[in-house]
Parts: sequence; C-alpha cells; structure tokens
Amino acid sequence: MARHVVGPADAIPPGGRRVLTVAGRSIGIFNVEGRFHALRNSCLHNQAPVCLGEVGATYLPSEPGQYRRGLDGRVLRCPWHGWEYDITTGRNLIDPGRKLTTYPVTVEDGDLVVHVGGPAPGARPTAADAR
Amino acid sequence: MTRNDRPAGTAAASRRRPYRVIDSDVHHSLPDWQALQPYLQEPWRSKILEANSIVGGLGLGAGRNRLDSVTPDGGTPASDPEFTIRQLIVENHIDLAILTGNIYGWNVHPNPEYANAVMSAFNDWTVEHWLTPHPQFRGSIAVNSNDPETAAAEIDRLGERDDMVMAIIGGTSTAPYGQKFFHPIYEAAVRHDLPIGIHVAAAGTGLAPAVSPVGTPRTFFEYHSGLPRIYITQLISLIAEGVFEKFPRLRWLFIEGGVAWLPHVTWRLDKEWRALRREVPWVKRPPSEVIREHCYFTTQPLEEPPQPELLVQILEMIDGRNCLLYSSDYPHWDYDAVHVLNALPADYQPNIFQRNAERLFGL
Repeated sequence: MARHVVGPADAIPPGGRRVLTVAGRSIGIFNVEGRFHALRNSCLHNQAPVCLGEVGATYLPSEPGQYRRGLDGRVLRCPWHGWEYDITTGRNLIDPGRKLTTYPVTVEDGDLVVHVGGPAPGARPTAADAR
Repeated sequence: MTRNDRPAGTAAASRRRPYRVIDSDVHHSLPDWQALQPYLQEPWRSKILEANSIVGGLGLGAGRNRLDSVTPDGGTPASDPEFTIRQLIVENHIDLAILTGNIYGWNVHPNPEYANAVMSAFNDWTVEHWLTPHPQFRGSIAVNSNDPETAAAEIDRLGERDDMVMAIIGGTSTAPYGQKFFHPIYEAAVRHDLPIGIHVAAAGTGLAPAVSPVGTPRTFFEYHSGLPRIYITQLISLIAEGVFEKFPRLRWLFIEGGVAWLPHVTWRLDKEWRALRREVPWVKRPPSEVIREHCYFTTQPLEEPPQPELLVQILEMIDGRNCLLYSSDYPHWDYDAVHVLNALPADYQPNIFQRNAERLFGL
C-alpha cells in the first residue's frame, strides 16, 4: 500500500473536506467530528463527482408521517441525483451492500496520509444498515 | 389443480377450461333509479327520482354499452341477473363474476350525505337482487371515499358477509388516495380482510379535479385513452404516503386501468426513491417491491400491441403472472371476452383466470 502525504491535517476542520488527486485517483477527504475519511470521488450511480456534494443529515427510516433526523454531518449527498452515502463507511444509505471505495487515512506528524492501493479499512455497520 | 366446484346454473360446456374462470369486473346496474327507493330514507327517497346524477358531467358522451347487452325486454344492460348469467357467464364459461356496479363514482357528488345514502342503498339492492339469489356472483361494497368515516362504517356493516369480497371506491378523488384523510377506509378494509378496489370513474365531474393536468380534452376518445393517468397518480400517492407501511395487510386492486404503464411507473418510482428517499423516509423498500406485494390489476382494457409477444414482455416486467386478474368489463362497449387472453402464454392463464383472484378475494 502506497502512502501519500496530502497536507496538514488542520487544513480540514471538522465538517470540512478537500478533494484531491492522489495516485491518479480523485479522492475526497472528509473530517467528521475530528476523524478523517477518504472516499473515491465517483458516485456508484453515474460516476458523478460525489465528493462535491452536500454534507449534512438525512431522515432515517420512520413510521408514515414521522420525520426522524439523523446521521448529522455524516451524510454525503451526490450533487447530481442525490444518492446518499455514509461518509464514515462509504455505504449507500438505502443499499448498504453497495459502497464507495474508501481509503485508510492516518495523521502522521500533523500531516494527513492517504493509503492507496491496499485493502479498504474494515467498515463498521452504521445506523443506516438497520434500515 | 382443476377445480370443479362450479356454481349451479353454469353451462357444462365442452370448451370449459381446466381451471375456474373468475371475472373481476362486471358492472351490474340498476334497471332504473326507482329500484333504489325501497332502500332509501327521506329526503333521499324522493330525491332519487328527480336528481340522480353527479353534477356537471363532462359532456363528452359516456362510454356506451355493448349494443347486444340490452335485456330481452329492452331494459338497461346488466340490470337483469338472469340475462347476465346467460349472456356473460354461460356464453363465456365463467364460473364466478365479481360485481362492481357503477355507483363508486358518487364519491365526487357535491352532496356527500346523498352519495352515502345512494351507495348504501345500492349495496342493499345488490345483496337482495344479485348476491342472495345467484351463487354465480360476488359483490363489492361501494363506499364514498370522500366521507371516510361513513365509508368505514359501511364496510363494517357489510364486511363480514361471505358474498362481499372487496370495498370499491371511485378512481377520481378530491385528493390523492395516499393522504391521511382516506386512511379510515383502509383501516376498515383491513379489519375485514377485504381488498380495496378502485375503479376509474367520474373524472372531471362534480367535485373531481380536471380530467388532466393540461385541462379537459375535447373528445371521449382522448379522455378514455388517457385514463391510466388517474391510476399513475393514485399509485404514486399510495407509495409515497406509506399507506402499505401503515397497513401492511392492505391489498389494492386497480380496475380497468390497463397494465402497460406499470413498468414505467415502477422503474421511475424506484429511481426517484434512490434520489429522494429522505423526503419519504417511511418508504423503507424499493417501491417496486411494495407494489409487487400489495397491488393487483385487472386485465381489461388489455393493451393490444401489433405483436402480441411485446405485451408478454411487458407482463414479464411486472410479474404479470401474479398480479393480474381477468376482467371483462361487461356490459361496457370496451368489453374483453375471455378469449382475449388466449394471446398470453398458457402458463399465465390459470393464474390470471383463477388463482390471483382466489388469493386476493379469499375465494
């Protein structure tokens, strides 16, 4: 797995993101509550630049007429057709079996390091998985 | 799989099929409005003789009846059970006909109290003159969808009768049928394990909105060709409002809307859901799955493409083997005889003629 130092970690504050080209791939790096996540910038639907989409909350599965806001700050919504992903896992919210390619990110001496070419980090189940 | 429990009175014909033939849309009719008088209280008892149509007809000319369906004594088509048995049931080797009547469209009558009374009287007339004397028929409880509490009470009044197999409502409505206003009707239907049947009717009349989002067409040809738009709107609403999430045992029969529009609508619903699910978070599964589980469709007016195999491809797209019910629409002009379905593969036919109706109606 190749290490790619992509810049100082403090350049991406919580809630922020950067989209970079790393090893020839367009990758979005997101800071969700102090933890960094890297996603391939290509929507599973039509290869749109998904990492340029809005980051926010969604409405979780609920009873008819009820709105249950959740996953605040963890949801990436594709800028083209609105497909939603959990940033922390890359998983599509309505079809968790499908996920964006994710890459391990570490902070080393204050720098963000994206690891490209190796296996994706073990993705933990999310609330969306319980749909 | 052959069922031989044909009701008495049907012909022992050589051409009968090795399964029951159930016709899920037969429009029995009052001989005249006076026939309702014994079942009405005042003021409606007198009213029925002077004002018995929905205000503000389209003026396009209603669909006619089969000209040969006028009864031998010159009466209203499908107003005589005995003649209906001869002309429809015996001639076509039909085993069981589900009566849908022609009163469900009164939901858009401007006076809901009057509509409630007329529909209830019609149900009583159906029981006395058709269902009780003739085992070849099953009935539909006509209810006024624009007065859901009264509709639910009517379903409660008749819903435990073995000869009533669904509750039927008008296709056109004052708001899309998914909305909460209508839910008491669905709750009542589930309470009696009855499906809801919806039948196209009364578009553009009375309280109903315009026939189409682009205004009113000039001819009956346009009106009738575009009827599926009513069901497209209603189906989308039922899905979007989570009706089948709220009532997981509810089953829904779309009558006389055709079927070839379904692949378009289901695929589009699935696609939009992937993009816009957060707006309807109670829709927890792809709409196509929900439709497949809860919705049934009658065949008439079956689309007739130049190459019949194209229709079969469409039916494959919608799991037509399991969601379609044969219907004739007797005695209307656009009636589909039993043999219309001969164009379909043999393995479709036992399901469409018999099993799907048995499953839906609990026959």
